[in-house]
Amino acid sequence: MSVPAESVSLVSRIHLAFDLRRGSPTMEGWDPNTKSTLTKIPLLTVKAGPRDGGAWAQRLKEEYRALIAYTQMNKSNDNDWFRISAANSEGTRWIGKCWYVHNLLKYEFDLQFDIPVTYPATAPELELPQLDGKTQKMYRGGKICLTLHFKPLWAKNCPRFGIAHALCLGLAPWLAAEIPILVDSGMIKHKDDAAPSTET
Amino acid sequence: MDFELLELQRQFEFAQQAKSSIRLSERNVVELVQKLHELCIIDFDLLHTVSGKEYITPEQLRYEIVSEVEKLGRVSLIDLADTTGVDLYHVEKQAEHAVVDNPRFRLIQGEIISERYWDSVAEEINERLQECSQIALAELATQLHVGVELLTSVLEARLGTVVKGRLEGGQLYTPAYVARVSAMVRGAARGITVPTNLSALWSSLQHLLQEMDGASGVAVEGSFFQALFNAQVKEGQILGSLRAGVYWTPSVFSNAQKECIDSLFSQNSFINYETLNKLGISQPVQFLQSRYPDGLALINAFVHPSLTEMVNAAIEDAIECGSWIDSLSVLPASFGSQDASKILSHSQSLQSALKCGKAFIFGDSFVFSVSFVKNLYDCLEKELEIFNASGISSLSLSDDVSSASDAKMTHVSSTSIESNQTPSENTGKHIVEKGSKKKKSKASGSTKTSTIEDNSDSQDYVPTKSKKNQKKNKDTFSPHVSEVKSGAKEDLRSQEESINVPSQEWVVQKAMKFFPDWEEQGIDNPLTALKPLANYLRPLLLNSLKEKRKALLMENANKMKGILGYLQGKVDEAFLNLQLYEKALELFDEDQSTTVVLHRHLLRTSAASIADILFINLDIYNKLKSGLEVDNSQNSEFISLNPGERIGLAKTFRGSLSKKAIAVAESLEGKRLETFMVALRDFAEDSGIVLKKLDKKLERTLLHSYRKDLISQVSAETDPVSLLAKVVSLLYVQFHNKALQAPGRAISVAVTRLKDKLEESAYTILKDYQAATVTLLALVAASSSDEQDCSSDRIATKRELLEGLMPQLKGLVLTTSQSSI
Repeated sequence: MSVPAESVSLVSRIHLAFDLRRGSPTMEGWDPNTKSTLTKIPLLTVKAGPRDGGAWAQRLKEEYRALIAYTQMNKSNDNDWFRISAANSEGTRWIGKCWYVHNLLKYEFDLQFDIPVTYPATAPELELPQLDGKTQKMYRGGKICLTLHFKPLWAKNCPRFGIAHALCLGLAPWLAAEIPILVDSGMIKHKDDAAPSTET
Repeated sequence: MDFELLELQRQFEFAQQAKSSIRLSERNVVELVQKLHELCIIDFDLLHTVSGKEYITPEQLRYEIVSEVEKLGRVSLIDLADTTGVDLYHVEKQAEHAVVDNPRFRLIQGEIISERYWDSVAEEINERLQECSQIALAELATQLHVGVELLTSVLEARLGTVVKGRLEGGQLYTPAYVARVSAMVRGAARGITVPTNLSALWSSLQHLLQEMDGASGVAVEGSFFQALFNAQVKEGQILGSLRAGVYWTPSVFSNAQKECIDSLFSQNSFINYETLNKLGISQPVQFLQSRYPDGLALINAFVHPSLTEMVNAAIEDAIECGSWIDSLSVLPASFGSQDASKILSHSQSLQSALKCGKAFIFGDSFVFSVSFVKNLYDCLEKELEIFNASGISSLSLSDDVSSASDAKMTHVSSTSIESNQTPSENTGKHIVEKGSKKKKSKASGSTKTSTIEDNSDSQDYVPTKSKKNQKKNKDTFSPHVSEVKSGAKEDLRSQEESINVPSQEWVVQKAMKFFPDWEEQGIDNPLTALKPLANYLRPLLLNSLKEKRKALLMENANKMKGILGYLQGKVDEAFLNLQLYEKALELFDEDQSTTVVLHRHLLRTSAASIADILFINLDIYNKLKSGLEVDNSQNSEFISLNPGERIGLAKTFRGSLSKKAIAVAESLEGKRLETFMVALRDFAEDSGIVLKKLDKKLERTLLHSYRKDLISQVSAETDPVSLLAKVVSLLYVQFHNKALQAPGRAISVAVTRLKDKLEESAYTILKDYQAATVTLLALVAASSSDEQDCSSDRIATKRELLEGLMPQLKGLVLTTSQSSI
């Protein structure tokens, strides 16, 4: 019998969230499970932005490979939590969905982001438009607030980190920290709950 | 878009589409298991691990335990709980089951140990034992972390099979080692020749072993040596006797000891305890008594009967010869006085002699024959007389009296000795001789020095004195002494201070003088014998002294009674007369000058004689009372003392009496008879003599006798001068009934007083006679200075005249007296 990875990561996420809210995260404080997951995602090699033509195509291939690996990992750990796909042929805009299970209820949100022209030096700004204005940990337009502890890590690992890393390190901890608060404070409602309430 | 990118896109999509594997949460699993329990699908106990993540069945746990023990041989339950990850409680439970199921397992102090483990341990131990030749079990036990008892029980089962060695006192030894150590023990034990405490021997052996083995040598316990030793003693490899388990006496030693003692005792016929102590016998008395039952145990030594017999013989000899002996001089030099006394107490001849009173023991070791002591006592007694006499002479006051009494004392004491010694004629004779000799020396102006000379003389013949009669003498005097002791002691206690008591030193000194052979006999300190001897003799001497004193006092008491009676009579008579005479003085009270003359006359004559009689007799009385010998035979009726002597004598009286006596003596020199009377009464009262007062009846009878006396005197009187005084006295008696004692000077006054009482003719006769007497006396007084020729004639004529007148005068008195009667 092995310990389910999810439960461990759950704990680590709560940790992280706590750290986020305090606004003083440290690399050292990073959860070992999150870390191990992160290390299992293949690292990227090509340093190229959307404007770099052939190089960008190479980069994009690598991004896909990383995403595939991450997705397979999630699937095998029964921890599948997002669906994304490139919205244009250049692969500079991505859309999809992400979800989080809280109290046995699945809360699903739209996910969208653009690859900035300075990529990979600049991390993509992940947007959850449905949650725009519902939490302080968010920029205008639903861009999640990751600056404090994601940005240095990203900068340090440029160009080896890609989209998969950004999701793993950025969005996943953010969801784990913010969704339970938002649910408990009633800012967001489960769609099954929301529907009957609107009906009534 | 190149193909590869598209392919990747497709793959990504596929990956996202793929069904994710479903995982049950832990909680779900737990719930599921619970559900299974509820549904009784799992109908047995299901244990879970400490982590709470695993379920395990008891059978599995037991199997795991057993396999663990089989693998390791020895596993602690705590370790099992760790390795199986199951709670200790369940592990213990299942371990018990496992041990019960498996006979080769044992559960010891929280550990399961298999027999296989012990086998391997025993093999290891054996290997080590063969290397080191000895191992301490305690050491092994600590290494293995098991109890010594357990290890012992385990090893004992394997001794001789797996472990080749010997277990002794918590140590394992190889046979070779045991043989070696036992050889050492045997060697050491055989090397010992004196009694030894074995533990000391073992410690030295241990030391030796450690030195041989170096630092690696394990300390061998004494009990191991002891066990080996005991075994060897039992086998007879070592000879000797063991006392109290540790005190070993080799038979070599005890044999040598016995031989030594035997030879010493047979050669010397005594043996000192000290020698035995040196030979290592701690309780010599018991040892010797058990070995020589006929011997005698003393304080310092043990003697053979032959030695006692020797002493016996010596003592017997000494007693026979009437001599003395220091038993120490006969005994070996190492003997102390206590030993000597003990030997003496066992000496039969001495005991019988003591019983018969033939001998004395003084100062532990000195035996004196009775005759010797008696001899010495006699000498001392004589010596004591001299001593006392000289002491008394020093006490006495006036010289002549002292010399007289001294001479008397010696005389008396020598006679008293004679009387004392009468039971034994021979010694008595001796003493008479001696007494005479002493008297001789006394007579030739003897003082102390001469007596000492005398002593030196007597030394020559004293030891040669015959001693055989002395036993008899002793018999006579010992009960006598005791009697005196009981009776006289209290009586004489008060007087004892005044007696010259001979001190112990004195007695010792004298004894030394009598028997100068004390030193010759080789006694370093003769005082040790002499002091007790002196202590014995001193009370005897004192008693004899007291006895004598008592006899003297008895004698004196009789004399005193006589003296007192005599004195009383004398004083009564004289005092009554004095009172009679005093009455007569009243007649002359008016005439001052005559009164004085008469008073003086009375004081000089009758009063003085009363005082003298009183003084002298009281003095004698006092002397007698203090036990002195006084010869009152020459105590003449009238010793007239002069005033100086009187005062001297008065001063000898005791205390207040002396003052009063002096007052009496002084009053004699005064002018008034009354003062004398007062002083005399005072004195007499104190000295216990009754002065009778003159009453009428007595006065008359006295006067009558006085008158008769006078008449007879007058009629017999031939001297004309003294006739006058008597006639006048008689006349006074006739006319006044008063006894007048008048001196010559007062006669004329007395005569004139008679004028009115007498007839004219008679008065003239008296007057004429008186005048003639006066002239005659005047002529006699003058004639002593003048030429004799005419005065003698005149005296003769006057005398003739007076003689002629005498019958007239006589007739005058006698007729009247007769007529009056």
